[in-house]
Amino acid sequence: MTYQEFKQAVIRHAEAMGIAEYEIYYQAEESTSVSAFRHELNQFTSSVEGGLCFRCIVNGKMGYASTEALNEEQAERVVRTAHDNALALEADDPVFLVSGGQDYEKIDREGYELPKTEELIKKVLDTQEQLYAAAPTVIDGSSTQGMAISMDLAMYNSKGLDLNYHNNMSAIIVGAVVSDGKEMENDYQIKLGKLDTLDTEALTAKAAKTAMAKLGGEVAPTAVCPVVFDPEAMSDLLSTFSGVFSSEAAQKGLSKLADKEGQLIASSAVTLVDDPFYKDNPMPIPFDAEGSPTCRKALIEEGRLMTLLYNLKTAAIAGKKTTGNASKGSYNASLGVRPFTMYLAPGELTEEELLEKAGNGVYINSLSGLHAGADAVTGDFSLQSAGYLIENGKKTTHVKSFTVAGNFYDLLFRITAVGKNLELPMATGSTAFASPSVLVEKLSIAGK
Amino acid sequence: MIKQDVCQRVLHRALATGADYAEIYAQNTVNHSINMIANRVETINDTVVAGAAVRVYKGLRSVMATTVDTSESGLLRCAEKAADALGEGTAQMDIVLQEKAVVDIHPVAVAPGTVGNAEKIRILKEGYFAARNYSDSITQVTGSLLDVDHNILIANTDGIYTQDRQIRTRMAISVVAEKDGETQTGSFLPGRRAGLEMFQEIDPKAVGERAAKQAVTMVNAGYCPAGVMPVAIDNGFGGVIFHEACGHSLEASSVAYGRSQFVGKLGQKIANEKVTAIDDGTIPNAWGSINIDDEGTPAQKNVLIENGILKTYMIDKFNGRRMGMASTGSARRQSYSYTPTSRMTNTYIAPGTDRNEDIIASMEYGLYAKDMGGGSVNPVTGEFNFSVKEGYMVRNGKICEPVRGASLVGKGSDVIMNIDMVGTDLDMGQGMCGSSSGSVPTNVGQPLIRVSSITVGGR
Repeated sequence: MTYQEFKQAVIRHAEAMGIAEYEIYYQAEESTSVSAFRHELNQFTSSVEGGLCFRCIVNGKMGYASTEALNEEQAERVVRTAHDNALALEADDPVFLVSGGQDYEKIDREGYELPKTEELIKKVLDTQEQLYAAAPTVIDGSSTQGMAISMDLAMYNSKGLDLNYHNNMSAIIVGAVVSDGKEMENDYQIKLGKLDTLDTEALTAKAAKTAMAKLGGEVAPTAVCPVVFDPEAMSDLLSTFSGVFSSEAAQKGLSKLADKEGQLIASSAVTLVDDPFYKDNPMPIPFDAEGSPTCRKALIEEGRLMTLLYNLKTAAIAGKKTTGNASKGSYNASLGVRPFTMYLAPGELTEEELLEKAGNGVYINSLSGLHAGADAVTGDFSLQSAGYLIENGKKTTHVKSFTVAGNFYDLLFRITAVGKNLELPMATGSTAFASPSVLVEKLSIAGK
Repeated sequence: MIKQDVCQRVLHRALATGADYAEIYAQNTVNHSINMIANRVETINDTVVAGAAVRVYKGLRSVMATTVDTSESGLLRCAEKAADALGEGTAQMDIVLQEKAVVDIHPVAVAPGTVGNAEKIRILKEGYFAARNYSDSITQVTGSLLDVDHNILIANTDGIYTQDRQIRTRMAISVVAEKDGETQTGSFLPGRRAGLEMFQEIDPKAVGERAAKQAVTMVNAGYCPAGVMPVAIDNGFGGVIFHEACGHSLEASSVAYGRSQFVGKLGQKIANEKVTAIDDGTIPNAWGSINIDDEGTPAQKNVLIENGILKTYMIDKFNGRRMGMASTGSARRQSYSYTPTSRMTNTYIAPGTDRNEDIIASMEYGLYAKDMGGGSVNPVTGEFNFSVKEGYMVRNGKICEPVRGASLVGKGSDVIMNIDMVGTDLDMGQGMCGSSSGSVPTNVGQPLIRVSSITVGGR
């Protein structure tokens, strides 16, 4: 069955069961992925995936059921299961479906066609050769992957909502493995965009250079000292703790920012923005997972918490309007809240000036194990890191195998300066995190 | 799911351009989860995941195409796509499929699909409220009961036509405790490759109480001091140290491509002689267990390291070609839309001979990690990290005050040399392991062990 046929079948079953309020959320992705190892192609994948979520309101509760198989039997099953699931729910939070006819932002960005498979293969093989040529230390194990993804999203509900969204994305990912004869290091770099405009020469050079810079290095000394995070490390921290800005987390006692709107929660150097239309986000989207219009907003302005992120339910509980941040982790997930592109607004200083201001401390350009070493509820983190010592205002010895520890809520107050080098390092979907380099006046370093 | 003669025709089509191996993997899975927060059932999720993948090999190249249309015509189109992507050539193989019945070593008594929401909610609430009522300092509890009924079919040009049904059940309780404006968390997430009868072995109340006790202990703890010190890591989820520090680097997905520090080390000493490590997919009803892997190879018990000597890697068919080695029954994938690769199942350090009290008594100053959180590793460099959920300082051979916020970092090849005491009481913990072929259930395990020296991140 096609989506349209399945939709009609679902509507028929819903009406037959007397369900008056319901929504259909459909997401499908077609992707082609090609990868090279040594000097030839070794893997090719052509994948179709996606599914449909049916939600309905029964007795004031919202029941969900989802399927990837679009057939008559499933059309009946999702309606019946969602209905039964609604009856078993106990939470008496308000439930909503968005009415049709909302005013959505026009996205004034030119989409692009996806490459043909032959073009993708050629680009991957060429890039793989550029990777080997980037440095004599690049060894087998290095790889290049090319991806072309076409994504479709559709929402339909009993209140006249009928939305469609389409997005194409192509990307090249290079993984450089380098060796100095004693040890190996590696680095991944990704670049998204129209395939024939991607500068893979620069991409391979950056991967090889970054991997080589990781070779050698010492364990940092244990200390409590100033820390400068580079844009990638700071974006990773923002990503890990972005959940603290969720109104849902706040209302459930899982964020310390509950009741802090309007108050100072960070140093005056901190302005934090969420923008669904940020220029480098590969997936600008005019509506959220409930179908509400999306918009740009400041979460923190010069240290003051302006708003949390809301969907219709959490906004109703708080007596506010939704910020258009309803989200679904995947088509079948329950509704939550998330940012689109969350970024720390740039300041005035260059990275060199930040280092000078730091004096003596540690520069961190890599954080690992964020899913394990950070607790999004308490804000505590203790993370494997790599980077450089900062001595007399300059980057000196390369250091690794140490941890940086602190607390995110506390860190927000300790950001004493923000650089002007705003970067969005790893955006691959509609949620992305960006930051300039940031100076934190004091964190704990554990090493030798 | 798909009849044998249909598979035969689809495989035939997949071979049309000269592939030397073809495979069909079809899946039909029902995922069900009930989630509680703020003392109430808030959401129930129910998802059917269904589709198929056709994979072909030609030498060291692999092509995979997937489809959600598992009718014969849908599968034939999918096979044609895969064959076309492989390039030009002509079929050179005959296929004779033979049905291979799977011997089910993980019997299920109460299939989750046969039990309604009401009974599952009753079980979940036992665990939930045991946590909620544990102490006045508890401010929030989240709880979930998840069950999965995962049906797979594999047919390939080696002649295999086989099916398996994998049922898994898991309870997850997370607790937030607060004291003087500071919060700490605790959690416990036991699971089995079994149905709801798992709660005859595991008391839901004990799950909630354990999670709550951890949160309350940690909210009363100070921060862990930083430095290099000996660490005793307890059994159960403590086994994550081997999983991260060594296990991932022994997967063919790293080894076949030279992206591991253990390439070319078979037969060599890579770990302390106290260390024998095993990956065993055959443990009855264990969380990471399988009857067959996702290429249809029967599950095996693989001794990875014996008394410090590297014995084998974990290998799937495709990467095995590059390595010139046979599959060890280690191919796994989250679903049809992921290309399978070598993964862990139930991985553990085998019991040794040291007594627990001797291990603690041997430490003048160090950390006792009673429960661990997750971690990660870069197999290329072997650098790993993982977090300590519940830790205690050890002074003069005695376990002293609890400490929070610790993490352990190091290099895999160093740390497995430094495991110099291994206790006797093996236990396992359950996790979801994420890698290129998606998220798969794995057990980690060990007895109490001592690492003579490791960097402890704290403040």
